[in-house]
Amino acid sequence: MAKRYLILEDGSAYAGEGFGAGATTSGEVISNLNLLGYQETITDQIYHNQIIIFAQPAIGNVGINHDSYESILPTAKGMVVRDVTNISTNRLSRLSLDEFLQQHNIPGISGIDTRHLIRKLRQQAGPMKGSIVDVADAHAFDQLNATVLTNRQVDQVATPRPYPNPDTGKNVVVIDFGLKHGILRQLSERRCNVTVLPWTASAQDVLNLDPDGVLLSTGPGSPLDLGAGVLEMIREVQAEIPLFAIGLGHELFALANGAELKALPVEYHGSSHPIRRIITNDIIYATQGQGYAVIAKSIDRDRLITTYVDLINGTVQGLRHRDYPAFSVQFFADGAPGPHESRDLFDEFMEAMTAREG
Amino acid sequence: MQNLNDLQKVLIIGGGPTEIGHETELDSATVQIITGFKKHGVRTSIIDNNPFSVALEEIQPTNMYVQAVTTANVRHIIEKDRPDAILPSLGGLLAVQIVQELIENGDLGRFGVTILGMTASTLRQINNPAALNATLKAIHEPVIEAQIVDTTDEAMGLVESIGFPLIVKPVSPRVDTNRTVCENVDEMLNALNQGFQQSRFDQCTLERSVVGYKEVEMVAIRDVADTKVLLCGLENVDTIGIHSGDSIVVTPPQTLTDREYQNLRDATFRIATELGIVGVLHLHFALNPANQHFYVTKVAPYFSRGVALAARTTGYPIALVTGALLLGQRLVDIKLPSRYVKQTAIMEPTIDHVSVRIPLWPFQEVPDADQHLDTAMKAVGSTIGIGRSVEEAMLKAVRSSQFSPRDVLPSVSNLTDGEMISQLIHPLANRILVLIEALRRGYAPDELSELTKIDNFYFVKLQHLLTIEQEIQDNPLNVDTLQRARYYGFGDGMIARIWQTDTATIRHLSAEAHIMPTYKMIEPTAGEFAEDASGYYSTFEYENESQPLGDRTALVLGRGGNQLGPNSAAEYFTTEMLKQLQRAGYHTILMNTNPNAVAIAPEFSDKQYVDPVQLGDVLNVIQVEHPDIVIVPGNRHYLTRELGKLNVNLHVLPPDQETGEEPPKMATIGVSLFVHGQQKIAVGVMDMLTPGMNKSLAQVTAFRMPAELPKAKRLSLVELAKQAVSERQVTGMIQVLFAPKGDTKQLTVVGVRPTRLTEMAFLSKVTGVNWVRMLTRQHIATLDDDELAKIKIDLNSNRVALMNAAFPFRQLHVLNRPGTTDQEVGATIAFGSSEALTLSNLSDTAELDQIINRTIG
Amino acid sequence: MAKVVVDAMAMQRALTRITYEIIERNKGVDDLVILGIKTRGVYLARRIASRLQQLENVTVPVGDLDITPYRDDIEHDAQNEPKVTATNIDFSVAGKKVILVDDVLYTGRTIRAAMSAVMDLGRPKSINLAVLVDRGHRELPIRADFVGKNIPSSQRERIKVSVSEIDDRDAVEIQQA
Repeated sequence: MAKRYLILEDGSAYAGEGFGAGATTSGEVISNLNLLGYQETITDQIYHNQIIIFAQPAIGNVGINHDSYESILPTAKGMVVRDVTNISTNRLSRLSLDEFLQQHNIPGISGIDTRHLIRKLRQQAGPMKGSIVDVADAHAFDQLNATVLTNRQVDQVATPRPYPNPDTGKNVVVIDFGLKHGILRQLSERRCNVTVLPWTASAQDVLNLDPDGVLLSTGPGSPLDLGAGVLEMIREVQAEIPLFAIGLGHELFALANGAELKALPVEYHGSSHPIRRIITNDIIYATQGQGYAVIAKSIDRDRLITTYVDLINGTVQGLRHRDYPAFSVQFFADGAPGPHESRDLFDEFMEAMTAREG
Repeated sequence: MQNLNDLQKVLIIGGGPTEIGHETELDSATVQIITGFKKHGVRTSIIDNNPFSVALEEIQPTNMYVQAVTTANVRHIIEKDRPDAILPSLGGLLAVQIVQELIENGDLGRFGVTILGMTASTLRQINNPAALNATLKAIHEPVIEAQIVDTTDEAMGLVESIGFPLIVKPVSPRVDTNRTVCENVDEMLNALNQGFQQSRFDQCTLERSVVGYKEVEMVAIRDVADTKVLLCGLENVDTIGIHSGDSIVVTPPQTLTDREYQNLRDATFRIATELGIVGVLHLHFALNPANQHFYVTKVAPYFSRGVALAARTTGYPIALVTGALLLGQRLVDIKLPSRYVKQTAIMEPTIDHVSVRIPLWPFQEVPDADQHLDTAMKAVGSTIGIGRSVEEAMLKAVRSSQFSPRDVLPSVSNLTDGEMISQLIHPLANRILVLIEALRRGYAPDELSELTKIDNFYFVKLQHLLTIEQEIQDNPLNVDTLQRARYYGFGDGMIARIWQTDTATIRHLSAEAHIMPTYKMIEPTAGEFAEDASGYYSTFEYENESQPLGDRTALVLGRGGNQLGPNSAAEYFTTEMLKQLQRAGYHTILMNTNPNAVAIAPEFSDKQYVDPVQLGDVLNVIQVEHPDIVIVPGNRHYLTRELGKLNVNLHVLPPDQETGEEPPKMATIGVSLFVHGQQKIAVGVMDMLTPGMNKSLAQVTAFRMPAELPKAKRLSLVELAKQAVSERQVTGMIQVLFAPKGDTKQLTVVGVRPTRLTEMAFLSKVTGVNWVRMLTRQHIATLDDDELAKIKIDLNSNRVALMNAAFPFRQLHVLNRPGTTDQEVGATIAFGSSEALTLSNLSDTAELDQIINRTIG
Repeated sequence: MAKVVVDAMAMQRALTRITYEIIERNKGVDDLVILGIKTRGVYLARRIASRLQQLENVTVPVGDLDITPYRDDIEHDAQNEPKVTATNIDFSVAGKKVILVDDVLYTGRTIRAAMSAVMDLGRPKSINLAVLVDRGHRELPIRADFVGKNIPSSQRERIKVSVSEIDDRDAVEIQQA
């Protein structure tokens, strides 16, 4: 395997071995602390334009499996790992990780002291750009420093036109900001007749479909870059039908209802934080992936109730509207990858839709 | 149920002597839990008859019941001591069974004793697989339907519906592990006949065999508020069919998809809630690799080797947290010592390294045992390797499992192809070496996976190691190759052997090329938080996290995985020594690979390196820490010699120093003296008992103190012993051996030797003086003459103490016989005012009858 | 044969949703009081109150109403109307928004009795009804404002609600008569 480098905008360079695509890419460097689930992670569109450092040291062990895609066309910019195995003989596998990354033009680099990088990102809080390159020379650093990362991530990954995911149950409209498939799987398991709409859909577009409920999906990037239209759509829809929002959707739901957001010093991607479900005072674990958090003080208590909170960093993890059956969670309730105990939020959504029927 | 906040007295059922199935991990957890209880103002009493127990050192003598762990004895203590609660989860399955009996006969109810950690109903289910299965089925957890049979006829009637292979298991067995896979009727009938005998109820179960499925273990913790944390998943490399204690185990699981892992996590949580577990829960699953279906195969709400491995590999303080949970605290409220990040107890561990555990078997000492690995556990210990790749972790574990003084792996290249194939299908203790040999001979990973049912991934990893080995062979003294070799876990000794040079050359080359180890912290957050944990392992990467402890440091080398011989005693010794060194103001560092060791828990030293205790690795640690003293176990002659050549302040402890004497052929009395300068403290006069006909010194495996002699005679032997010691240049804890001269009964000195570890523990327990402490102080020159002079020992005490070695023969299915000191797995100790009481408390009455007949009268 | 139609998780969720709906409908928790109908309604009422406490950090008063049970096996007549036999309400309901909580809504007669009893205690601002299960077969013009689950049932069937406070678990089961 070819010798390649991970270079960071602070001027550091780390030598490793390339795998996957041989492309030179740049992106924001973030770390993922999950114990398992590299395929779900690399295919999740929330990592659009990001280079992912994996805390799990051994990657690729189970190849690529048909039921572990969170999107079909991943758009992450790279994988940084300690050790990679390019195996494709696992009973469910069709592809090795290496082949998969080549097909999608995503480079990987192995043999990196990922633990060091994770510690470093923590210590030097703030966004950090990086590149995976063949040669770590001045030119490469110039290129990296000159790179401007887009703030149009949602446009890049969300569907531009509607499509159905038919079934026989409740009519659910999913607004796609960079939807992870786990959400669709949870709705399918509950027999929902889903229509996925582009994120630019208006309230009228949504309501025209006469849905029983609407779900605002996960997605990449900053919720502050998406404009006022989507917030207006949320405000109109939440007043009419049950609404469930996840990840980026949660952040938008908060904004639409007057709360403010802050960028976290270090993006958090992991599933080890206890999350308190306030109403029952119990604790669950869920996969979290966030660069932003709702500012607790900014929440208008006359409009929103805080429903979940991260006990480690204190971030707001769930909100609910006071006047409508509209609620949101920051963490990934579909549990792909990660713990499943938050999946019953989808049941809550189903029951909210049923209750509305009366 | 009592309010847990009102608990004042808790009785812990101890684990008893080390045997196949458990070693010192129970003792280790017990010590930590007692310490926690103490902090919360709870008085702990304990019943245990393990002379090497560290926990017994932590407890006031009045709360210590040195008795065999039996239902009758426990009931007796309850009557006398009236504890508020009883804790079964530190004594393995036996403790669970004892508490069950105490419930059944009404003792717990009568005396109002609460069971900590689990409900009475859960306890009953743990003892009754059918009841447990019914519960699990009710909550939709898949179980293998086990059907109870009382007779072979009944079993024959079920054969058709279950089909072969099927498994026969005794109901509520007296030992942990008897399951037999049967391929046909004859095998089934044999297994049933044996099983009926082993069952407490003369019953067996029949069930579908899931041989060849993946075996995955989950360790979780739960509090009274039903908060659950999944601590660790363990993947058995060997599939169902080989006992998990005999399997190579990898953590975190490497060949599971996230979905499979999370499904098992869900099941673990549902079971923990249903059973109302408070504290730790260890589950086993059989996972069908073809379709992701799984079965729950074992439910163990108590401490075990799986829990110990989880603690070592995650750095999560399981015992400490469990102690608090048992007293009714919630996970969110637990306050940990300052070395942990505040919320560690409630964070689900995530780790950025790989741990591999490899079992150690006793076949070298018990060669006539059947060495095939099957569903009955045969290993006596294990050793772990931690690394940043599967290769590195695996190779470190293999290196530590082979006891090669020069860190070279043995070869099995002399096997014929036929033998090799046979061993692939019917694995023996050298399993891992045979797998490697098969790859060496050109078998492809997927072929081997087909043959062994081991996941292909592991063969790919082993083959990668062989590729690197080839690269080492092809590139002698090449630094890039050296870098790669060290990166993937090759030891200096291995590389030196391949390059036909010595380790010094390898180390010189490494230093010049700056190929230096980087130590990584073993902590449960994968770098998310700045933890201040004390466990480290080496790898060869960019950042080193281990900073030297500074002045006045002592590096203590552990003995690695448990084996037969004085290992449990050595563990006791090491732990006590570390405590004393710490008390004397040393920063203490332990290097060891035994995940079940007591001393490896962070409570006992300032720093722990989990790395092979091999010359290269030891020197690497010395290079980082610059310890003032290095303490080497007595059985490591090569290491001692090599370290001795360097500028290292070396102490061989426990003392194994040469006395320059041939040991005598036999001895009947031992007189122990603590020799310090001119002082010779008489510590004890003991009978040295040989249970068999063979009277040789190696057969002395039981001891009684004081020796069965007239008082005056004992004193006169002490004088003779002092004289014998004066004639020799010896120091420390010395044993002078006596034997009758010729045909006369006249006892004469036949030899002088340093007191063995086992007897040292015995002497400490009997005299109430911590002799390890004295010996350690002597070595670090802090022993106070006056303090020593004040020690008063009654050599003619009326209280009789007896220690008797335990052997693994029954569990290995070899003929029971008098064992040698090399075959000891553990020991029991008993005290009593009369001979009868003393002897009745020992476990192996058959052997003791012999002792009684020979020594009394 | 008993069939579990609402398991522990689903019961938790239903109570959670009812709690949120109470907040939605009442624009908060001001002037709210909760009255549980014995036996199981009391525990459900307490759970709702504890959820409100968790969310809003406000203690909502909870009281009990003891009502002689309506008996399916006796012909309905004036003697067999359910009656409130005891109350354990140490606060005034006058001017309050009362939430009545019961486990199963069936004929509506129990609720009617409960409402009369509440009115006797003082004039509340409003009375709302929250039930875990609505099984249909109403004999009076009464309807629940907050329903955990609608379980259309035959009159021959028995709906059994278990709550972990006094039963061995949380569940709703249907039993064939």
